[in-house]
Amino acid sequence: MASAPVTITAAPLGVGDLARIRAERRPRLEARLASLRPERGVVRDVLVCAGGGCVSCRSTTLAAEFERLIAASGLSDRARVVQVGCMGLCEAAPLVLVAPDGVYYPRVDFSLARRIVTEHLAEDAPIGEAELTHERDGEVRRSRDVPFFARQLKIALRNCGVVDPLSLDDYIALDGYQALAHVLLETTPDAVLDTLKRSGLRGRGGAGFPAGLKWQFVREAAGDEKYIICNGDEGDPGAFMDRSILEGDPHSVIEGMAIAGHVVGARRGYVYVRAEYPLAIERLGHAILEARAAGILGARVLGTEAAFDLEIRIGAGAFVCGEETALIASVEGKRGMPRPRPPFPAQAGLWGRPTLINNVETWANVSPIVLRGAAWFAGIGTARSKGTKVFALAGDVRNTGLVEVPMGISLREIVHDIGGGIRSDQPFKAVQAGGPSGGCVPAEAADVPVDYESLQSLGAVMGSGGLIVLHEGTCMVELTRFFLEFLVDESCGKCPPCRIGLRVMLNLVERITKGLAALEDLDTLMGLARHIQRSSLCGLGQTAPNAVISTLEHFRDEWETHIYDRRCPALQCRALLTYEINEALCNGCTLCAKACTSNAITGELKQLHRIDALLCTHCGACVTACNRGAVVAH
Amino acid sequence: MIEPHAAGAATLATPPVAAAAAAAPDAPGVEALVDTFIAAHPGGHERLIPLLHLLQERLGHVPFEAQDVVADRLGLTPIQVFSVLSFYHFFTLTPRGRYPLKVCMGTACFVRHATRLIETIQDTLGIDVGDCTPDRLFSLEQVRCLGACGLAPAVMVGQDVHGNLDTKAMRRLITQLRSQGRREAVAAAKETPRG
Repeated sequence: MASAPVTITAAPLGVGDLARIRAERRPRLEARLASLRPERGVVRDVLVCAGGGCVSCRSTTLAAEFERLIAASGLSDRARVVQVGCMGLCEAAPLVLVAPDGVYYPRVDFSLARRIVTEHLAEDAPIGEAELTHERDGEVRRSRDVPFFARQLKIALRNCGVVDPLSLDDYIALDGYQALAHVLLETTPDAVLDTLKRSGLRGRGGAGFPAGLKWQFVREAAGDEKYIICNGDEGDPGAFMDRSILEGDPHSVIEGMAIAGHVVGARRGYVYVRAEYPLAIERLGHAILEARAAGILGARVLGTEAAFDLEIRIGAGAFVCGEETALIASVEGKRGMPRPRPPFPAQAGLWGRPTLINNVETWANVSPIVLRGAAWFAGIGTARSKGTKVFALAGDVRNTGLVEVPMGISLREIVHDIGGGIRSDQPFKAVQAGGPSGGCVPAEAADVPVDYESLQSLGAVMGSGGLIVLHEGTCMVELTRFFLEFLVDESCGKCPPCRIGLRVMLNLVERITKGLAALEDLDTLMGLARHIQRSSLCGLGQTAPNAVISTLEHFRDEWETHIYDRRCPALQCRALLTYEINEALCNGCTLCAKACTSNAITGELKQLHRIDALLCTHCGACVTACNRGAVVAH
Repeated sequence: MIEPHAAGAATLATPPVAAAAAAAPDAPGVEALVDTFIAAHPGGHERLIPLLHLLQERLGHVPFEAQDVVADRLGLTPIQVFSVLSFYHFFTLTPRGRYPLKVCMGTACFVRHATRLIETIQDTLGIDVGDCTPDRLFSLEQVRCLGACGLAPAVMVGQDVHGNLDTKAMRRLITQLRSQGRREAVAAAKETPRG
């Protein structure tokens, strides 16, 4: 994909080298963060987003086209093309930033690329009408000033979309590995531990356990052989934070882990990445090779006596492996099944040794905290949730993408200001936070500040940070059924409450979506949910009923309509729908009749077709088949 | 877990050896692959999953014969290897199509009607989730989140992600892949020396 095999320079770096590279390269990197309006003859960087989303919109071909155009126009000494990690605004893919002008161009195709080269790069004249703009109440904002970018605060994503993920020098230029050098040479492990504890950093993988405390447990655990693990098994459907960090700034994860290695006394680390993320694996692998060649990983880290090295382990498609004990089993080459805790991994983890395991985003937060101090980090956020959180904003929102915001901002601000509101004209209904382990926050409660405790009080969880925005056309019962189906499929089968309980819950919810439910089913569901929560072995089972509990709490009338009236207000539960053909739209193409499996549709070619309600099995095949939208559901 | 059993049952019906030969006529020998890997990566049983990844990537699936070789080299029993393999969705016992269509069923894709894409594929190709077309051109899988939520609904074909698809675009994509497959088959036939 993005990387042609790059030759890796094999000169081990010392601290002096870090400072030299930083001094040499910093101005160029800082220019990428600038918004200096046209200056004649300036050397420009054309940053093409090569994050997962943009790559699938052919951004690598686009980057090659830019290279070609720039060379053909004789601008090679005045413009350079850099492929960077995710810039965040996936909606505008492929996204291009021209620095140091700070002009973003959304949805760039080849013809716009040609104009950017001939007008912006050659004539120093940015193309106003193609620039990213946002208009609200008559006020027009451009590029960096659009609310999507202006309202964010980036710590974990500080380098994403700025540095070339394949360039170690780019990372070093923006203070990279300076924190590691500080930890190795200028301070003590206890001081680092103290900083981390005072910063208030909590695990970003979902549970929110204080990171400093976890580090301390591992540091104090007995034994010479300890391990560091990075949990990059981002299995929550609807989340892509870890993916973007690994793809866009892999060195920040490596640095965080290397710091931890020195602090807790571990010499070996593993990064567990999902197999579904080939690009992340490729870029992280490249970064590890580069760091090893530069003497940042290996037997003598930065020329000191400390030793630390990393290896990638590729997941194989099991959601439960996001649970730490299951992940450890998977790294050991076993079925990824969790085991009871205690002992916690801090005492007995990988191969029974003390193991420090944190999520990708947590690791990316480490070096800024070490460099800028605990007080700085603790000054951001709320009383109990410090710093920032990265969210993957998706669903029915205008600006889908990746955002990093200070803790304590309200959900409504994320959806309306940063996300730009609902994309369709239907009203905002709810936000699903935290994936299958999470719950739904209804629109009325969207003013809740985003932090671990507030979300929990509403029955949702921070989770790893997936936010799916839902509009009125989404059926909450059907959504719950979807999550349960996912969890039944992903339950490892070790403990009965999760293995059997979830299946029974799914059966009950399926009955409801088919209009076959009885009144007492809701009580049975709620009772089961409470039992499964209390008695499951691991986080998967304990949080699995959240979807049922939170939707029953906030959208009980919708569940009741399904049961009492046998009706689905959002028109999603097919068994509860009746279909009809709109006479004005039907052109008699016979597609619907061909698609019908129960011969319920009759009609001659070029004549109006009809659906026999008695024969109809409610499969909805006719709706999908019709090209003119003539089949309507009630 | 229901799937592994279902997958296992399906394979017993189709001889894996014949299938392997059809999928990859010039695939390197399983034994050579495994031995090279073992020699390059000293260690213990933790090499099992990386090894299964290698076989899945090279052969397109991990048939029982290959599992036996792995078990032998790592000092495990065949059932231990199968128990790990069947636990993870990523490994398959039957070969996938030349264009494996992986429809994302993550939440973001689900709320943007990914189910309709699956139905469209089922209608157009006449195969169910987990199946492969008789000409081995397409196979259909349902995956849990490709992490391309910004492009929902998304379908991954090989390593390429196609985003923002509706039923029409899905049909177009299939037609396009089919003609691409035909072109490649013709080109391959031309390259093979006659006689």
